[in-house]
Amino acid sequence: MEGNPGGDAGNGSTVLLIGNPNVGKSMLFNRLTGVNAVVSNYPGTTVDFTRGTLIMHKKTYEIIDVPGTYSLEAKDLAEEVAIKMLNEHRDGVVVVVLDATLIERGMYLLFEVIERGFSLVVALNMMDVAHDKQIAVDARRLQQILGVPVVPMTAISGEGVKDLIDILRKACVTDVMGIKSRLSGDAAETPAISGCTGCGRC
Amino acid sequence: MKTEHTAVSIYVGIIGMATLLLGLAQILVFAGGTELTVGIMTVPNDFFRGAWGGLVVAFAGALMLSGVREIGDIQQFSKVVLGAILVWIIAGCDIFAMICESIPAGEEAPAFFNSLPGFISGFAPPYAPAVLLLPFSLVIACLIRRWGSSDT
Amino acid sequence: MGLSEDERWALIDEISRQTVKSGGYKQTLGDVLGELTVKPLTGIPVAIGVLYAFWSIFGSFAGALMTDGFMVKFFDRYLLPWIQGMWPDPGTWLYFIFVGDPVADNCFEAFGVLTSGLFVAIGVVLPAVLIFYLMMTVLEDSGYLPRLAVLMDTFLHKIGLHGYAIVPTILGLGCNVPAVTATRILETRKQRFIMMTLLAIFVPCGAQIGIMLKAIPDTIGWVFLYLLIGYGIFGFVLNKVIPGSNPEILIDVPPYHLPAWENVAKKMWNRTKGFLKEAVPFVLFGVLIVNLLYLGGVIQWLSDALAPLFVYWFGVPKETTGPLIAAFLRKDLAVAQLAVIPMTAYQMISSVVLVSIYFPCVATFVVMLKEGWKELVAAVGVLICVVFLYGGLIHLIGILLGVA
Ligand SMILES: Nc1nc2c(ncn2[C@@H]2O[C@H](COP(=O)(O)OP(=O)(O)OP(=O)(O)O)[C@@H](O)[C@H]2O)c(=O)[nH]1
Ligand SMILES: [Mg+2]
Repeated sequence: MEGNPGGDAGNGSTVLLIGNPNVGKSMLFNRLTGVNAVVSNYPGTTVDFTRGTLIMHKKTYEIIDVPGTYSLEAKDLAEEVAIKMLNEHRDGVVVVVLDATLIERGMYLLFEVIERGFSLVVALNMMDVAHDKQIAVDARRLQQILGVPVVPMTAISGEGVKDLIDILRKACVTDVMGIKSRLSGDAAETPAISGCTGCGRC
Repeated sequence: MKTEHTAVSIYVGIIGMATLLLGLAQILVFAGGTELTVGIMTVPNDFFRGAWGGLVVAFAGALMLSGVREIGDIQQFSKVVLGAILVWIIAGCDIFAMICESIPAGEEAPAFFNSLPGFISGFAPPYAPAVLLLPFSLVIACLIRRWGSSDT
Repeated sequence: MGLSEDERWALIDEISRQTVKSGGYKQTLGDVLGELTVKPLTGIPVAIGVLYAFWSIFGSFAGALMTDGFMVKFFDRYLLPWIQGMWPDPGTWLYFIFVGDPVADNCFEAFGVLTSGLFVAIGVVLPAVLIFYLMMTVLEDSGYLPRLAVLMDTFLHKIGLHGYAIVPTILGLGCNVPAVTATRILETRKQRFIMMTLLAIFVPCGAQIGIMLKAIPDTIGWVFLYLLIGYGIFGFVLNKVIPGSNPEILIDVPPYHLPAWENVAKKMWNRTKGFLKEAVPFVLFGVLIVNLLYLGGVIQWLSDALAPLFVYWFGVPKETTGPLIAAFLRKDLAVAQLAVIPMTAYQMISSVVLVSIYFPCVATFVVMLKEGWKELVAAVGVLICVVFLYGGLIHLIGILLGVA
């Protein structure tokens, strides 16, 4: 299942699934591509990357599932793979997968990705668990603050996966200064987000 | 609620004690070396089903007993549940073993599958202690439903 | 570049303050059970129970139901006589290779590609790996595996690994190949090296365990005990000898959940497919090679040459050479071969342990090579030392106990 690094999918663009270990990247990957990446309930299941393709709206995306990582400074070989893939696809779209019940932890990695200037979308996975645990995440507000599309979803049931696919082409770059100012309320009421070219979900 | 808790405590106390004693008995029987059959109960004497299984059953009893006090508290109740789960594991494995052994016909028989009477006779008593404890510990399964996460 | 670590966390705090509301959440039974299963006092009894269940279900399904219940009958009573009767000319070498012994009355002894080869691969090992895969999947998907890792942390630290090493070890009980790859989650080269070496030497795979269950049901416990002790001793020694650090890491424990049957089915199917495609041909091929080597007199010559080593140092019959050659291809095949060599119970224990520790099977060897040739060379060096030391030690223990 290992492709040649750098190999491209022809007419489409590359989508990398990045996130902490055990947030459901591989399960999302399987839903998107129909490939059978191994999914298990322990961190560190995926130790190598897997490629697959998604064809949607006449556009071919090459989706890459990578090992989970807590930051962009590799601690082990699996994390190194994730970072290497990120570096090799600087012009790709990054889907940062967050566990809705552990948002804080995932956001550290999210910020590192943002700071590197990737064009990204945030997938807020495990919404079902969050609901059971009575954790409410305001995805709209989060999207407003971050300035990138945020899609709540549940990979295990497939809920929200379609929304994620639709929003892929609205992926955009955001910057920390903007986030800071929106966070402190300066631009909180304005739905239009600087840096985001009209993703339409705000 | 209060009286229900007391009643459950007493019930779990008795079951827990019985579980603990039967588990220890299994280990003793293994140490003694001869299989013991009392009424519909048989205590195996091999290392795996006897000693190892007995150890787990004894642990299960100890767990249940440790959770008897203030059983309404979820921390305490969880210990009881964990004990019950261990009993279910051992009993489930024993029953699964009976099923597996009675599906095929005997080694000498020409057929592959057992006859229906032959299959059913595979489940005749005597049973191992964990299997006998199973129906009594199922009460705890009902309690899980009833109390669930609503207790604090 | 950009933010400092503190600034990043400050931002994150503020964002989550504005977007996340956790309403009065109460601990559920599942949460408390999750905690209880990682605390040593309550967790160890549970682990002992889980191990019991694992072995019991394995024995009932693979042993009693499939192999003894159906497969032995089918292979010995129908397939073997049929092939023996139908293949022409028992005297030829083709007969010897594909059917084996013309007067054998069971598939262990015949040792032809189509008799023992098929029997070992399909009759014994397939049911064993099927049930093994199923239980492994449940362990993986329920969330128990990382809890076991936390529980084992203290012990594993003594042998130079952190608790996470239990993950490759348990995966290795299914098959060593994915287990070797899984060592990538260990942080330092030292840890990876120790883990890979221990995997290759001391962790028997599901196929091998399956055939042991059939071939040596009464003494399998001793084999496990020797392998476990070896794992401990040599892990400890390697940790002392090899330079490098052994950092702590926090193990992240996910909540329990019921395995989704869809995922279980998918994993089972993929793994079974892998087994049928890769392992079965290898077993058949292994029988072919061993039979050719017998015909060519190579094994005879080797076992005569190595006889002193085997008999005096390891205390096992010289015929063990044949299985040791097969063990390089498939360990399950090697154990099946051992099972029909006449020897004492203790010799059987020693030789099965030898077969397990002596060399990783080809597939494992190849993935180890992929992970780095330097490590592989070093691991083989360690392995040779271990085989001689530990093999000799087991013999010595046998002598001291008066059973060897
Ligand atoms: N309840 C729930 N569980 C989920 C969801 N998505 C994934 N899971 C479960 O979370 C666990 C982890 O999923 P994976 O897809 O293996 O996670 P991963 O991010 O690929 O993990 P690594 O490969 O270790 O980095 C599995 O047990 C999934 O069944 C979800 O939306 N809801
Ligand atoms: Mg994964």
